[in-house]
Amino acid sequence: MWRRKRVLQDLDQEIRDHIAMATQDNIDRGMSPEEARNAALRKLGNVTRIKEDAREVWTVVWLEQVLQDVQFALRQLGKSPAFTVVAVLTLALGIGANTAIFSLTNALMLRPVPVRNPNTLVELLHQYPGEPAFNGFSWDAYQILRQNHVLSDLAVDSPNTFAVHGQAIEPRTVFGGFVGGTFFESLGLQPAIGRLVGSEADDLGHPVPVAVVSWSFWKNNFNSDPSMLGKQIVINDTPVTIIGVAPHGFSGLNEEMSQHVWLPLSMEPVIHDAPLGWGSVGLIGRLKPGVSLEGARTELAVLFQSAIQTPDVGPYVRKMNFVLRSASSGLSSPIRQMLHAPVLVLMAVTSLVLLLACVNLAGLFLARGASRRQEMAVRVCLGAGRLRLIRQLLTESFLLSLFGGLLGVLLAYFGGRGLLRMVTSGRDIVGLPVHAEVLARPDWRVLFFTGTITIVTAIAFGVFPGMGLSSQPASAMQQVARIGESRPRRLFGKSLIVAQVAVSTVLLSVAALFVGYLSHLRNGDLGFRRDHLLLVNLDLTHSGYDAEQWSRLSQELLMQLQALPGVLSATFSGMTPMLGAGASSFASVDGHPEVHETISINFVSPHYFDTYGTPLLSGRDLSTSDEHGPLVAIINAAIAHDFFGSRNPIGSYITLDHVTGRGNDTPTYRIIGVVADAKYNDLQQQPPRTLFLHAFQEDHFVSQLSLRATLNPESLTGVVREKVASVLKTVPIARVTTMNDQIDAAIVPERLTATLSSWFAALAALLASVGLYGLLAYSVSRRTNEIGVRMVLGATGGSVMRMVLVEALGMVGAGLVIGAPLALWSKLFATKLSPDLVANGSIWVLYGVVALAIVTLVAALIPARRASRVDPFVALRCE
Amino acid sequence: MSTEENKERIELLQGTLDLLILRTLLLGPAHGHAIAKAIEFRSDDVLQVEQGSLYPALHRLIKRRWISVEEGTSENNRRAKFYQLTATGRKQLALETSKWDKLAGAIARILRPTEEG
Repeated sequence: MWRRKRVLQDLDQEIRDHIAMATQDNIDRGMSPEEARNAALRKLGNVTRIKEDAREVWTVVWLEQVLQDVQFALRQLGKSPAFTVVAVLTLALGIGANTAIFSLTNALMLRPVPVRNPNTLVELLHQYPGEPAFNGFSWDAYQILRQNHVLSDLAVDSPNTFAVHGQAIEPRTVFGGFVGGTFFESLGLQPAIGRLVGSEADDLGHPVPVAVVSWSFWKNNFNSDPSMLGKQIVINDTPVTIIGVAPHGFSGLNEEMSQHVWLPLSMEPVIHDAPLGWGSVGLIGRLKPGVSLEGARTELAVLFQSAIQTPDVGPYVRKMNFVLRSASSGLSSPIRQMLHAPVLVLMAVTSLVLLLACVNLAGLFLARGASRRQEMAVRVCLGAGRLRLIRQLLTESFLLSLFGGLLGVLLAYFGGRGLLRMVTSGRDIVGLPVHAEVLARPDWRVLFFTGTITIVTAIAFGVFPGMGLSSQPASAMQQVARIGESRPRRLFGKSLIVAQVAVSTVLLSVAALFVGYLSHLRNGDLGFRRDHLLLVNLDLTHSGYDAEQWSRLSQELLMQLQALPGVLSATFSGMTPMLGAGASSFASVDGHPEVHETISINFVSPHYFDTYGTPLLSGRDLSTSDEHGPLVAIINAAIAHDFFGSRNPIGSYITLDHVTGRGNDTPTYRIIGVVADAKYNDLQQQPPRTLFLHAFQEDHFVSQLSLRATLNPESLTGVVREKVASVLKTVPIARVTTMNDQIDAAIVPERLTATLSSWFAALAALLASVGLYGLLAYSVSRRTNEIGVRMVLGATGGSVMRMVLVEALGMVGAGLVIGAPLALWSKLFATKLSPDLVANGSIWVLYGVVALAIVTLVAALIPARRASRVDPFVALRCE
Repeated sequence: MSTEENKERIELLQGTLDLLILRTLLLGPAHGHAIAKAIEFRSDDVLQVEQGSLYPALHRLIKRRWISVEEGTSENNRRAKFYQLTATGRKQLALETSKWDKLAGAIARILRPTEEG
């Protein structure tokens, strides 16, 4: 190092000496002193470059230059703090929004499961038209599907919840599953200790009561003590022996639903005391090398068809379609199906926001570049190369981007948590625990994504100001001397505004579309009254009551609740609207067996329709006196229409193929009343055909209590809890909520897209107006002279203001004209992702256009007013 | 070491200037301007050294420890930096010279094959 310093120190002097000596030589040869010096300089070449080259010998020069650039850039950014803050915030919002949404996308669709060759893993499902796909076959169907030639392995993986207790284990509900003999082997998993479930799992005749537990279960319950092998735990009242621990990091094929206990499939009939019927055998497969997903689907679908065309399969199952999905990033779960479309929509929205941020910053940089042209010209004259200048500008944009990125990651972290709160505020997915926090866990993919967009962003907005820079000292100085801006640059700056307005139009229109849909869902006719309803969900699993006791106690409870002040009526039902589940069956009516359709079923007690405010159209309500009489039912208008047409259904009979949990009975009910249609399972669909059966006629244990209140329903919570506790001493309350909250919970994806897209659209409009404001303010300040001249020549303040506003209007108008068709096109994209989306004409595009026009013109008014107040004499004195 | 050699093979012209500087300094210590003049003079002005590139080349040689630098007084009594060959530089010059001869010979054989036969 010291050599370097010593040698470099005197380089200047050395070169001066060199020039002096060369000049002297030239003079000696007979040149004039001036001529001699010029000749010497010519011969020496570019002194700056010589010095840089000499320095380069000693250093890793680019590093040194980068450090110089960074230092210089930091100074430059520090000089204009307002610019820096606006730029960093803009970037942080753009990058943060993308990071937050991407981490969701990553967890739901990209992150591979921690098993061998996740890419060839597939999941087999079936789907009833219009319903979510479901992974659950029967043992017989499994045997038929196994005869394929496209999968190297077909393994059983049936997730289940278990009530676990044992020595030193508090009774609790744990998520786990039944697995087939090839499950662990197929995934390439080795036991941490002990052994994993093997081929004994498939021998249904000889169930072996054993269990494998997860690493974290082992750690949390047994302190990672290896001697726990061979110990017993009790699962749903069946003792099983722990034979091994799954490898560290494996908790099933769905991260957000961690599994901790695995039992052999042969234990399923033992634990549930029922044969392996439809729905109980989940299947995952491995594609053979060279087999495509499409090819495998074709062959498996054929096998599936033959599996469901057997006599013991019900009509519901026969209407199923076969679905095959890649499981490389995990099995499809309700939360994944629910979030799939919203996440893709939001990904598109946030990309647009980032694009807008880039365009906005490019505009800012351009304006700033113009005001820095003098500085640039001076630097060109001092010998800086064009590349070096561009590199300097890029360093500034990279620094801004870096700060923006860092702040964005912070925003994404907190924003992501808010996002998760919203996601998890959704209705419970029956029986399945969701650990949503893993959805937000960042990994290298998220970091890589954020890093990439940060860099791309920096380049995208950083290169513009470098364009049009001249490397020739003379022309660089000429550029400074020119008062106005060059035409291409002005046009370019304007086109950036047009682009921002166009992108904002798209975002605002799409947001209006989603908000419109949400309000349509929220305010649409439900067929029942959603206000003043308190919902109490009871946990009857350990009540210990028999049907007789339950019927008596629950009616006692209803009596007491109805007597409470503030309670209009109370009722029990098997399900409440928008809870997200419900029984269904196929039904036919006497005299017309050819009409055989699927219907929804609810078990309700008397006063259900009073409580819900659903009008009784004809006939009568259920009554307590029906309890021991013949089976009766109430149908809704949809059943009456579809099954009876114009005939009067009262007094007719309706026959069900089977009712959930009733085996192969085909019970027949006399129809005693018809009620109006009401939405049942979801808000998006039309009211389904719904049959209401008497909650106390067939020994059903219905657990949903609904109360219609005269005041705020939540204020009744305390007294209702007391009543429940005093009447039903062994029944805990699982959850208390209101119908309004339950409805909100049922439309989380819609709320998510509507809320976030409105936020982003508002942000976009703000950015576009700031961009427009910035450009106009800048242009007015540059044209102060010109405006002054105009005013001296007789222009009024009003006409000057009009001039500026017309300029703004031109840009905004062009942006709107470009944006509107893009918005229409993006509607196609959105409706493709969420087919339920209803758009009323194109009115929402109009909303976007009008909103944006107003906002941007307000932004334009400020510089326009400033222009109109230019004092001509002050303006001219500036020259 | 091998990478260094690679580099020299690629940057032939640069290496040539290095060789000329070393050869010039074999006659004794000299300052920058003197070296430039010597190269031009001794090649009968055929080789016009771009004098600017002389200094980076000198720094390169110092870094490789083939030459050293010390303070001295120039002809016209000014303090100046004098460059002189080190022992390593001397060896390197011999090496480079023989390499250069081989190279020049080889190129000559290719360009004028008839003269040989």
